[in-house]
This record gives sequence, structure tokens and C-alpha cells, in this order.
Amino acid sequence: MKIINLQKQLGNLSIKINDWKIQDGKVHGIIGANGCGKTSISKLILGLLEPENIIIDFETIDSSQITMTSQRPYLMHTSVYENIIYPLKIRRITPNQEEIDFYLTKFNLFHKKNEYAPRLSSGERQKLSLIRSLIFHPQLIIIDESLSNLDMESVRLFENTINDIQKNSPVTWIIISHQLAQIQRMCDRVHFVDNGSILESGTVEDMLFKCDNERLKKYIDANILSFKEK
Amino acid sequence: MKNKISVLPLVMAVMMLAGCQKSEDSKASSVADKGKLMMATTTSTADTGLLDYLAPIFKEDTGYTLEWASVGTGEAITMGENGDVDVILVHAKASEEEFVAEGYGVKRFPVMYNDFVVVGPADPIEKNDDIGEVFKAITEQELKFINRGDDSGTDKKEKKIWTSIDVDPAVNPNYIQSGQGMGATLTMADEMKAYCLSDRGTYLKYKSDSTIGLELEVICEGDKNLLNQYGVIAVSPDKYADTNIEGAEEFINWICSEKIQKLISEYGVADYGQALFTPNAGTDA
Amino acid sequence: MKFISELVAKGFSDVGVMSAVKTTLIMAISSTIISAVFGIIIGLLLERFNFKGKKIVVRINRTLMGVPPVVIGLVVYMLLMRRGPLGSLHILFTVKGMIFAQVLIITPIVSGMIYSSALKSAMPIRFFAKTMGANSRQTSFLIIKEMRSEIYFALVAGFGRAISEVGAVMLVGGNIKGSTRTMTTAISLLKSQGIFSEGIALGVMLLLIAFILQWITDFLRKEEIVDENY
Repeated sequence: MKIINLQKQLGNLSIKINDWKIQDGKVHGIIGANGCGKTSISKLILGLLEPENIIIDFETIDSSQITMTSQRPYLMHTSVYENIIYPLKIRRITPNQEEIDFYLTKFNLFHKKNEYAPRLSSGERQKLSLIRSLIFHPQLIIIDESLSNLDMESVRLFENTINDIQKNSPVTWIIISHQLAQIQRMCDRVHFVDNGSILESGTVEDMLFKCDNERLKKYIDANILSFKEK
Repeated sequence: MKNKISVLPLVMAVMMLAGCQKSEDSKASSVADKGKLMMATTTSTADTGLLDYLAPIFKEDTGYTLEWASVGTGEAITMGENGDVDVILVHAKASEEEFVAEGYGVKRFPVMYNDFVVVGPADPIEKNDDIGEVFKAITEQELKFINRGDDSGTDKKEKKIWTSIDVDPAVNPNYIQSGQGMGATLTMADEMKAYCLSDRGTYLKYKSDSTIGLELEVICEGDKNLLNQYGVIAVSPDKYADTNIEGAEEFINWICSEKIQKLISEYGVADYGQALFTPNAGTDA
Repeated sequence: MKFISELVAKGFSDVGVMSAVKTTLIMAISSTIISAVFGIIIGLLLERFNFKGKKIVVRINRTLMGVPPVVIGLVVYMLLMRRGPLGSLHILFTVKGMIFAQVLIITPIVSGMIYSSALKSAMPIRFFAKTMGANSRQTSFLIIKEMRSEIYFALVAGFGRAISEVGAVMLVGGNIKGSTRTMTTAISLLKSQGIFSEGIALGVMLLLIAFILQWITDFLRKEEIVDENY
């Protein structure tokens, strides 16, 4: 897909994007300092915010097949299971019980299948929201710092899940994260957002190791600690 | 339970009495201030404005500040029985005599009377001075009639009339009970084009004061059955030692005096062209 | 509790208590249902749409929530009376007229409460629905479903107002025995007759209804306490 033009004024931040190419079927990492507009750009793509101007060419992506999980996902006032099947229900698709149980088991949520969802812990909430986003096989999945509250084991599990999906039937991913190590492991391409615009785009190699942009360098330096640990 | 119910208001009444005496001191008066006299009375004496007219004169003549609760006769008598008030001014002779006989009241003094009228639309009932004929016609033609049904003096009077002419008003499907005071019932009757029994004073006052203009007409008046005698009774200090018996007796003497009886006979003439009450202290109508 | 044994022995006096209970319930239930429909729609529309003068509408709504019901009663009386603009309906001194007044009293309470809670919870639900790909009809349905406990609280508050109302009901209904007499106006009448024990008995019945409602409310609130969605 391609964002030809996107403009939106949000308080002091003005979002301005021209000709941003997001290759289909790839995993894209978005990095940038807090408040630079990463989440707002995602919300604009999804139509959660009213833009002043937007021209997007979704190309092969069906705009109703886009989803987004956030840091604080909304859970419906019902059971874990009912939450997971909601996107299927509104599409009148019969839930594939095996697939649901597979994900629930994988993310260690199976024993909570029939529990009241808002009672889950914050990590469990994020896992549930990830399963809910995967279950209807969307074509574009935006992960907005959803992995930040997860333990390392769950993050690895999720990374494996992405790898499996990309191997079998690749979809487009936009992963917003400050965890540069994670970005390095998962992503095909990385985009650096600064002050509401896409400042740099490129491969992981180009962006994280060979960049010469001063602002990007500064950002990487600031986040290097967590990066080097891995 | 019953004792608790009756003691609490009494305590409150005493506290109010105690609290009020101070604040009244500042008022200039030719007679020494003697505090408050609490009376329970029927809505008719209050709604006609008679008490508003008499209270300042009473204060000037005797030094007592008259305060009153205007309620139905039934409740007024209950307030007397509970010792919540010092004196009652009501119009239900049988209940009043019972009140005295049971020891709650000292003695009943007739004060004045007014008369009842049947009011309603001029059509189809023609004006008639025989209450029996009017009530029978209403029942036979199944015309709308509003009974107050609140055990007030007016309600009791109406029931007595039905009994005396041996007609059961309830056979009329349009005979309804409002459960409200005279004013509200008159407004309802006007609105519904219904008939009702009202004391003349309240009717005249509502007819002249209502901002929506009552259309009710007097359909029946002058029958001897329609006379309405008021009695005044002091609450007995034998039942409630802290009742203001001096004030109550002074009020009774005062309202039965020639001067006040004359004022009562003149009240309302200027506004309504006729007196609302006829004084008759010492004799029952 | 001597008055209870007295009551059992004598039964209620002739003020039409059973019919008053029936009238009270019919009036309270119908007016709550009608107000619920109007109140929920108004409350949700107010949250959903921005328009010129919205602030004033919200302020009027808040004011109406606190208007003494007897004022509404007077206005309705003047509307419905023979010479009033709606006199041709002939519903003054009928249960229908009382319901009309009650709807005017309760609707602002329901819409005000729904608006306040929707301000808090509708936006996250709307975001969530969008990420799931729900259309606008499905989104509205989800908002109502997810706000069911808030809606329930608003209805309980409305119903509580409806059964406890005296002034407006007395004015518009006329306290007619066997037709428009309610429990509260019957209490008022009993008091005016000096029959306190039966008034108290009716009061206890009203308290009992209030207690049952409160109990259900508390039961539902337990579910709310654990909710971490907001």
C-alpha cells in the first residue's frame, strides 16, 4: 500500500506524510521518540482519527481487513472466548474452534477461555487482544507497543507466530516499538518517524547500523542500551 | 409504636414554641408578647383568607401570635388528639363532640357557620334549592361528580347528605374520589366539567382568584342541609400538661366576642359581594 | 409493631390501596420504558455528534435533571387541560397523562446519565469496533451492549424517581381513587386523614421495592469494580 498524502494537525504536532510506500506482505517496524506521531499515524490509516487530508492507495488490501492492537486494549464485558470470536461474529464467519484453541494454548490462556475478560491481568489482556486480531486473518495488522507488557517468553512466542504466518500466507504488519532488538529480529523494513513525518525508511541493516541521519542516530543511541542487551 | 408517633411531634412542637418566643420580642405591640398559639384548622378557614385577616388583630388584642396548620378536619382532630396543637377550629360536629367526650378537648364552642353549595356546569342540571333533587338527578343521569374522599368536614357532610336522601352515589360510574383539598377538587371539577360539593367561601375565592377563570356555577344553595357549623375547642391540659391552655381559652373568648363576630360577618363582602361566614357564637346552626 | 397487627386485623381502609399499588407499577414501568428509549437515544446521540448549540443542549439537560417534578407537573397540567394546547387528547386525570409527565421528568435523568457515562466509555468502544472492522450499525449495537450496566443504573435511577414521585402525579393524575391514585398520593391522602399506620405500611412497601432495586444494582456493580477497561 501507499500513502500518497496525509495531513493532520494535532495540537502542536502536525502530521505530514507524502508518498510513503509500505510493501505488502512485509513486516514493518516503526520507531521514533514518544509523541512523534507514531500512534496517530496508525490511527489515521485505520480511520480512527478524522484527517484534514488523506489519500491512501490500499492496493491489494481491503480496508475492512485492517486491525490494530494497542497498549491498553479494549476488552468487551464478556468472556475471553466471546471476545476472541467478536470479529468473526460481525463477519458472520463460523469460528474455527481448533484455531482458537491452538492460539489459546500457545499463549497459555486456554484455562481462562470462559473467564470474564476484564478480570484478566494486563499481560493476559494483551495476549487476548493479539489472538483477537489474528483470528479473522486481516491483511494489515498494526501492533502499537502491544508487546511492551509481555514477558520475554510471550514475546518470543509472538515472534514465532508472526514468522509462521509470514511463511505460510504473508500479511502486512506495522509494528510500533522502542525495542530495537525486537525490531531487528522481526522486521523486514524500518521507518523512522520524527515530528510527524517519515524521516527515513530502509532495511533493518541500513537503518539500525548504517544510518547517517543525525536525528535517527541520536534516537538509536538513546535506545541502544536495550538494543545491546539482546 | 402509637406512643412513639404521638410523642415525637409533641417534642418538636414544644421546641418550636421555646424557640419562637425570643424572636417575637422585638416586635412592637400594644400588648405584652405572650408567644405562640398553635391551631389546627380546616383548609376552608385558611384558603378563604379569614385567618390571615384575623391573626394580626388577635396579636394586637391579646399578644399571642396565632399559627395554624390548615389540613382536613380528620387530620386536624388527630393533631389535637396527639397534642400537637393547642386549639382546633373545625366543622364536623359529631367528631368534635367525640373529641370532647374522649377527654382530648375541654369544651366545644360554636363560632360561626358557612354554607355549602353544589357547583358544576349549568347544563344539564338546572339551578335548584333542593339538595336531594340535585344529588338524585346527578346519580340518575350518571353525571360526573367529584367527592373529596379525604375524610374532611366537606367529605363527611357530603356523605351525610347522600345517606339522608338514601342514595348510594357509588352506583354512578362517574362518581370519583379526588383525595385532595377543596381548591384542587374545584379546579379538577372545572377541568372535567364535573359537579362537586364545596363550601361557599373556598368556591368564591377560587372563582375570583384563579388565573385560568373557573367556569363552575352554583347549582344548588340555600338548603338547610347545606349549613356548615364551625366549632372551636381547646386541647385539654389534662391530656397534655404543656398545652397552651391560657392562650387557647383567650382565643376562644376572643373569637366569640361581639367585636370579632362582627368582623367575621363583614369578611368577604368587599371582595366577593357577600360574607363568607355567618357568625353565631353560642348557638349551633 | 402494633400497627402491622392492626392492619392485618382490619385490612386497609377504603383508600384503594391495591389499585394504587397497581397504578404505581403500571405508571413507573411504562414511563421508565418510554424514557429509556428516548433517554438512551438522546444520551448516545449527544455523545456521538457535535453540533452548534450542543453545550446549551447539554446544560439544559443537566438543568432538567434537577427541576422539581411538581414544576413539570404544572407545565404538563397546563398543556393537557381542557383549554390547553393538548386538551383535545383528553388525557388529563388519566394514567396516560401521568406517564406523559413522568416521561418528561425521567427522560432527562436517563439521557444525562447515559451521556456522562458515554463520554467516558463510548470512545474506546468505537475505536475497538473500528479495529475489528465493525460497520456503524454493529458499532452502535456494541456500544449499547457494552454500556449495559450504565444503562441499567440509569434505568434504576429513573424507575426510583417514577415510583417516588408525588407532586406531578397528584397534579396531573388528580389522585382519583381506583384510577390515578398511586402509592405516594395515597400516603399523602392517608396522612391528611390522620391515618398514619397505613401510610407507614405503604411506605414500607415502597422501601421494599427500593431495597430490591438497590440490591440488584449492587450485585451488578460487583462486576464493574474489576473492570480495567478505562
